[in-house]
Amino acid sequence: MAEVLLTEDQLDHFRVRAAEIAHPRELVIDVLRAIQSNFGWVPDEGVELTGEILRLSPLQVEEVATFYDKIFRQPVGKRVIHVCDSVCCWSRGAEEIYAHLQKTLGISPGGTTSDGVFTLLPTCCLGACGEAPAVMIGLTTYGDLTPERLDEILERERAALEE
Amino acid sequence: MPTITIDNQRVTVPEGTNVLEAAKKLGIVIPHFCYHEALGAVGACRLCAMTFLEGSDKGPKLKGVHMSCMVTARDGMVVSTLDEESADLRRHVIEWLMMNHPHDCPVCDEGGECQLQDMTVAGGHGIRRYRGLKKTYVNQDLGPFISHEMNRCIQCYRCVRTYQDYCGGTDFGVLGCNQRIYFGRFRDGTLQSPFSGNIVDACPTGVFTDRTYRFRARPWDLEEAPSVCPHCSLGCAVIPGARYRELQRVRAGVNAKTNGFFICDQGRFGYGHANRPDRPRSPRLGEREVSWPEALGALRRELEIIIAEHGSQAVAFLGSSRASLESNAQLLELARFFGSENFALEIDPERDRAARTTAALLGECARSQEEVRRSDFVLLVGADPLNEGPMMALAVRQAVRAGGSAALIDPRPVELPFAATHLPLSPQNLPEVLKALAEERFERFSARERTVLAGISARIKEAKRPVLIGGGNLLGSSGAQLLIEAARAFSRGDRACGAALLLAGPNSFGSALLAAQSPGPDRLLAQMQEGRIRALLCLESDPFADHPEPGRARMALSRLKLLAALDYLPTETARRCDIFLPTTAPAESAGTYVNFEGRMLPFGSVFDPGVPIQITGGGDHPPRSFEAHTPGSLPRPAWAALAALRGDSLSLAHIRRNLQRSDARFAGLAELEEGGEGRRVNGAGQMPGHGPELPKHPSAEGALRLVVTECLFGSETIASFSPVLDPVRPAPVVRLHVEDGVRLGIHDGEKVRLRTELGDLAVEVRLCEAMAPGIVVLPRLRQGEWEIFVPGVHRDCILQKEGG
Repeated sequence: MAEVLLTEDQLDHFRVRAAEIAHPRELVIDVLRAIQSNFGWVPDEGVELTGEILRLSPLQVEEVATFYDKIFRQPVGKRVIHVCDSVCCWSRGAEEIYAHLQKTLGISPGGTTSDGVFTLLPTCCLGACGEAPAVMIGLTTYGDLTPERLDEILERERAALEE
Repeated sequence: MPTITIDNQRVTVPEGTNVLEAAKKLGIVIPHFCYHEALGAVGACRLCAMTFLEGSDKGPKLKGVHMSCMVTARDGMVVSTLDEESADLRRHVIEWLMMNHPHDCPVCDEGGECQLQDMTVAGGHGIRRYRGLKKTYVNQDLGPFISHEMNRCIQCYRCVRTYQDYCGGTDFGVLGCNQRIYFGRFRDGTLQSPFSGNIVDACPTGVFTDRTYRFRARPWDLEEAPSVCPHCSLGCAVIPGARYRELQRVRAGVNAKTNGFFICDQGRFGYGHANRPDRPRSPRLGEREVSWPEALGALRRELEIIIAEHGSQAVAFLGSSRASLESNAQLLELARFFGSENFALEIDPERDRAARTTAALLGECARSQEEVRRSDFVLLVGADPLNEGPMMALAVRQAVRAGGSAALIDPRPVELPFAATHLPLSPQNLPEVLKALAEERFERFSARERTVLAGISARIKEAKRPVLIGGGNLLGSSGAQLLIEAARAFSRGDRACGAALLLAGPNSFGSALLAAQSPGPDRLLAQMQEGRIRALLCLESDPFADHPEPGRARMALSRLKLLAALDYLPTETARRCDIFLPTTAPAESAGTYVNFEGRMLPFGSVFDPGVPIQITGGGDHPPRSFEAHTPGSLPRPAWAALAALRGDSLSLAHIRRNLQRSDARFAGLAELEEGGEGRRVNGAGQMPGHGPELPKHPSAEGALRLVVTECLFGSETIASFSPVLDPVRPAPVVRLHVEDGVRLGIHDGEKVRLRTELGDLAVEVRLCEAMAPGIVVLPRLRQGEWEIFVPGVHRDCILQKEGG
């Protein structure tokens, strides 16, 4: 992960876009996600930089940044596991999945594995009710989970990171 | 006008009223949090549920349980608030809102005026069933005015809707979502909005409380009365609260015609003047403290001796715009009693002329704050509302939020809590631009200026309810006249164009009405210099600090044989006068202010004067010595002291009756209710004589025009004597156009020497783009070396680099 919040190109791009459009505020998510993808999470400086680019106060950016649970305002592991805790998943064994993850990874909700690979978080509905129970790891959604399938998936995710 | 039935009672309400308001009209108060008259309905708290038994005759049938704040009353509706289903829902909602609320009422400052407490009882929730852990939060330091206690929050969003939506603040808001909602700032720090205190009033419970009043009193122990804010000319309704002979806080009052529901932080936290330990509280002859009869007797004798030797005109009387209408009227009575025609009711000659011109010409053009809120186009000319009348900035903001627009013509870099086109023209061009707008002739202006001005002119013409707002300080008398004439020129048969002028003090308009026969402060000063005026009696006026030419004023004052003063502030005049009479602070006596639009606003007396127990007890328990008199209780209302000088003892009611009998413009004054909407005066003032011509161009080569401007928390007299505001006093910086900075080689943030005919000053420079070139903008800061610079005077200055 790069140690910069935004590259020079990204900075230029967002500055030009912000000047072009009537409501630069609509770019908040785009800028925050770009920072997150570079830096792994959004530090205070990232919020302030976003505000400066979009001519918003840090608070106005923070309101949006903290509203969404997929914008991370604290350091997280390389892959964040979002476990769906909405009603369809409950009814199809999400609690078992959640417990299994905690046991396998040795962390509680909100925690990060000691090797810095996985962070475990609950999330509201992932929109994958048809294949409940579901989790999202990074930006990939996995459905129809069983503890066994989950172990394979974790293995694969870990391997992908090492490549 | 729909008629609806609520709990078997019929009520007819104006079109568009919601059912919650309609019920209120019947005296049925249903618990609610998120709905607020000024903030509107959002249907978020789910508390105001009512059962709709019959929908309306027309439109969609509405039946069952609905949130009454979200339903517009329609003819034929039948609603029940007593129905078991909605009562049960309300009971559950309140139980749920109370789930995380701490039971810390005994140590909570909101206790006794907590809407949550009231509504919980009203909603029928008594016994807590939830046994789990409660959510807790880390609080923030929000600065010197507001305490933060997030654990008490019930997520009604009123604070954010007040701070961001109504007041335009951007540094406080709502963070997180669902179970993680947090109301606060990005980081700890002082709230930046000059209207921050309103979240204390808006919060229905104790999340935001007045930090300056923390742990001082329970509301039921406070002495309160409806009052009027004394800090600017807008006349906002306030409710000061006092305990133990100490003014402890001020909260917003409600006046639909003036402030609505909110006030600015200067009005809320500028109260410390009444409690100052150094406040003069005893009549004085020279340095000697004396009794009232002795002081009054001595003053009268001295005046009579001077009159006997030099004639009646040798005694002069100086009122002020911070003294009440009644006190100024009594000062005139006194002048008449002694046969003197030498009086003025404002020391600053240009402010005097500007207020008198406004009072003479405004007439039917006058617009209230409420009318500005409902305007669809506002043009500000030479007006800086955040600094000269903060609530006016919010009034314009409401107009803009409702779809209106605004423009500003001003040399200064004016900050506004709303979007507006800004045309920075130099101060000497402001009269010209007003003339050009009225005549629609823009050829004297540059191409860019022409385009903006033509646009402004078109928008005024299109608008249905346009208002022109000017600032008395920058426009002066001739500018005020031109502004009102422009408003007349833009008025047509089908609709009028309004005007408003921000004046200097709470009673500028009232003093101006009374000042018709005044020769003006200039003549007074000249006669003092010539030795023809030998005695001056100052009513809540400080000629040492407030005359734009301090040197001349000092010279003139030094020639007096007798300087007498009535005041409640330890001003220089109060300290240096020969005879001093202590008067009551605004919250300590009743009176009337006539605000910027000519509205008479009577205020009540909150508490009796006396040295606060905090001081007499040395901060500890009240002293255990007993005496017949309250220490420091000698101050009297100025009107009473002035009447006593004539040997008269009049009640305030009597003074008001006399005033309205002798002057039809004040008709109805005696019947006005304190805390009411007030009433516009019935008739105009008289035009003052001409003032000196403004110099067109800087006299010296390389000189810049010095524009001294009012600044919030720094300029206003009463607030400057209020220590509560000390943490937020503005920084002493001057502002300069970027181009001038380049030309003079001065950088942003650089310290330079400002040279004027009044003397030199080391100043820090801020470079700005949104201002006129060729000027230096300097804030009026009291009680320091900057005090000599008074707004409204056009002076030259030179900026010189240190060591250059």
